[in-house]
Amino acid sequence: MTPLEAAEAKFGWKLVAPTILILSLLILYPLMYNVYLSFFDVQLSGFKTFVGFDNYIKLLSNADYYAAIGTTSLYLLGTVTGTTLLGLAMALLLREPFKGRGLVNAAIMLPYVAPVISVVFGWQFLFDPISGVVNYLFVDVFSIWSERTNLIGDPDSALWIVVIFDIWKHAPIAYLLILSKLVSVSKDQYEAAAIDGYGPIGRFFHVTLPELYFVLATVVLLRLIWNLNRFEDVYLLAPNVETLPIFTYYQAFTGVIDQGLAAATSVIQLGVLSVFIWFYIKKIMKW
Amino acid sequence: MKIKTMTIGLATASLSFSSLANATTVEYWTVQTQSDRIQTIEIMADVFEALNPGIDVKIIAVDENDMPQQIAAAAASNTLPNMIEVGSDLSLAFAEEGIVDTTATSEIIKQLGKDRFYKGALKLVENPALNEYVAVPYSGWVQGIWYRADWFKEAGLAPPTTWEAIDKAAKYFYKPKQNQYGILIGTKADAYAEQCYTQFALSNDAGQFNKDGELIFNSKAQKEVLDFYKSLSQYNPPGPQSWRARDYYLQGKLAMFFYSSYILDDIALAEAAASSLSSENFKDLEGATFDPDLAKNTRLATTITKSSPSSFGTLVGLSVMKNDDKAEVEATKAFIEYMNEKDQVVAYSHMAVGGHLPMLRDIAETDDFLNDPKGIFAQYGKESIKEIVAGFDSIKNFSVVDGKTFPKSGEIFAKQIIPRMIYRATIEDEDTQASLDWAEKQMQAVLAE
Repeated sequence: MTPLEAAEAKFGWKLVAPTILILSLLILYPLMYNVYLSFFDVQLSGFKTFVGFDNYIKLLSNADYYAAIGTTSLYLLGTVTGTTLLGLAMALLLREPFKGRGLVNAAIMLPYVAPVISVVFGWQFLFDPISGVVNYLFVDVFSIWSERTNLIGDPDSALWIVVIFDIWKHAPIAYLLILSKLVSVSKDQYEAAAIDGYGPIGRFFHVTLPELYFVLATVVLLRLIWNLNRFEDVYLLAPNVETLPIFTYYQAFTGVIDQGLAAATSVIQLGVLSVFIWFYIKKIMKW
Repeated sequence: MKIKTMTIGLATASLSFSSLANATTVEYWTVQTQSDRIQTIEIMADVFEALNPGIDVKIIAVDENDMPQQIAAAAASNTLPNMIEVGSDLSLAFAEEGIVDTTATSEIIKQLGKDRFYKGALKLVENPALNEYVAVPYSGWVQGIWYRADWFKEAGLAPPTTWEAIDKAAKYFYKPKQNQYGILIGTKADAYAEQCYTQFALSNDAGQFNKDGELIFNSKAQKEVLDFYKSLSQYNPPGPQSWRARDYYLQGKLAMFFYSSYILDDIALAEAAASSLSSENFKDLEGATFDPDLAKNTRLATTITKSSPSSFGTLVGLSVMKNDDKAEVEATKAFIEYMNEKDQVVAYSHMAVGGHLPMLRDIAETDDFLNDPKGIFAQYGKESIKEIVAGFDSIKNFSVVDGKTFPKSGEIFAKQIIPRMIYRATIEDEDTQASLDWAEKQMQAVLAE
């Protein structure tokens, strides 16, 4: 390295130093502190006892933990597939301009922008077994069901209600992302494909889908990250659906907080998520 | 009247002491989150400030369910409040964690006079090993089965005070086709379920600990309780149920439900019941208007008996939190003593008639307390209200056995183990023995810590 290069490299470090410092303070320090805490039994008074891998053993030997992983997988599968497909379908249907498209777009975005707490209460009142309008319509008015049911409360249906709720609430963002790419796909490509003899289905698979590959992959990735950590929607609507964040909450944050255990849970979750995202970005999105 | 006196006191005092520099601050976290209640507490604090120049009382409302998390966060960042107002179970749990100043708290009780408190109430906040108190009992409520006395009379059924009577009535009134249900007991995994369950458990002498402090939760008696509870839950409205019991009862859909004495006013007053009803939005729904005869037709059975009679309630106490600043501790003690003067206790009690029963016997028996501004106590009769409050002499919960307190019970409560056990057994239809085994394992984990 010539003296000039060395000086430049040094200058370069100086330039990025503030960024590195801020990032270390805001991200690295809490992260490392979290890893550190996971090896301790932490009392609220601040007193810590080193317990080695106890927190991890406690977590991994808990059968409910694996049940929560199962629930989370179903939840992720349902919500990610659901939002992506619904978003894609809406984007395909609404790609061509028409009168009133602005209004339709606004209506589609509504569930996404509405505060989660108000829509959750709305859903709970709709599905209330005694005074809710869903039971009123299905049992009293149309007699489609023979008896009143508590769809949100019943553990057999609760997970699916939560999945449907998530699709309903988050499909708009998938729609928006996909539509923004879709409208920029050149008409020429469709014409060329038509000349080559492709019908609408062929054009979808040979033009639209390849063009949308990256945006779809992004939607899937984002939805996965969001929903793996999603707490508020699930907890507010049906706290009996124990996905991983809800499980962590019950384990570590009900009653007196067990900070060591909470830290261990989040370290594992972070590890899994990091590997997953690395794989996804390298292999699927090929960045 | 009291509020008026206080306001005048405040007005005159605030002129002279409005802006004091270097005031000692007493930060007070309360679980009273409704704005009208906070206002009442603010007025009491303002008068105290006026009487004690140099002390500033800062009131912060924290939702009951958020309190453990908020306290944990505050403890971690070394910003604990000076005093908190929480249920006795939480006080015990916090004291275990070493963040309650039990010495200062005990001194206040001594200062006020131990004999003035209901005996059972003091037992619930005692740490027997150290002969110290973790909270100053301040207010409380008792629970029971509220039932439609008119329906019971018509059907010729006995009041729901024994397991058999409850079971029989629940079965009789369960008519899901007509959207009417026999009973509502808690089956959602939350505190309400534990409250309902505990009373049944204590009526069958099925405790958590024996007097030597050994965990005896998973017992034959306990299984009987859970089996009974599970069978009773089939007469519930569908799915996991909780606090909405109040709404359903006011809508005329329930024959019996568990609730605390908090509900006295909801049943008696139309404006209090309004939020449970929905006549304006859903005119067609049945039971959507206020039933003026409901108070007359409603009775409360506070005691349930199987092998022994049990009544259940909860008390809220004021705890001084650990703090190195001597001046702040002294100011906090002075404020808590002030809060236990008659005017303040009565004003506090009347904020939630029936929900805030006083813990000082001499005050609970005065007409000042019994003549609530809305005349709700009068509807039920002064003697029966006195009887309800006196229940605090023999109040029971899982954390006290033969006069000994087991603070770990507070942590078990905080971990929601029993509510989740109930949910597993009743809603997920797990075998009751399996649910009990699960709960026992969870409790052992808490004890091992």
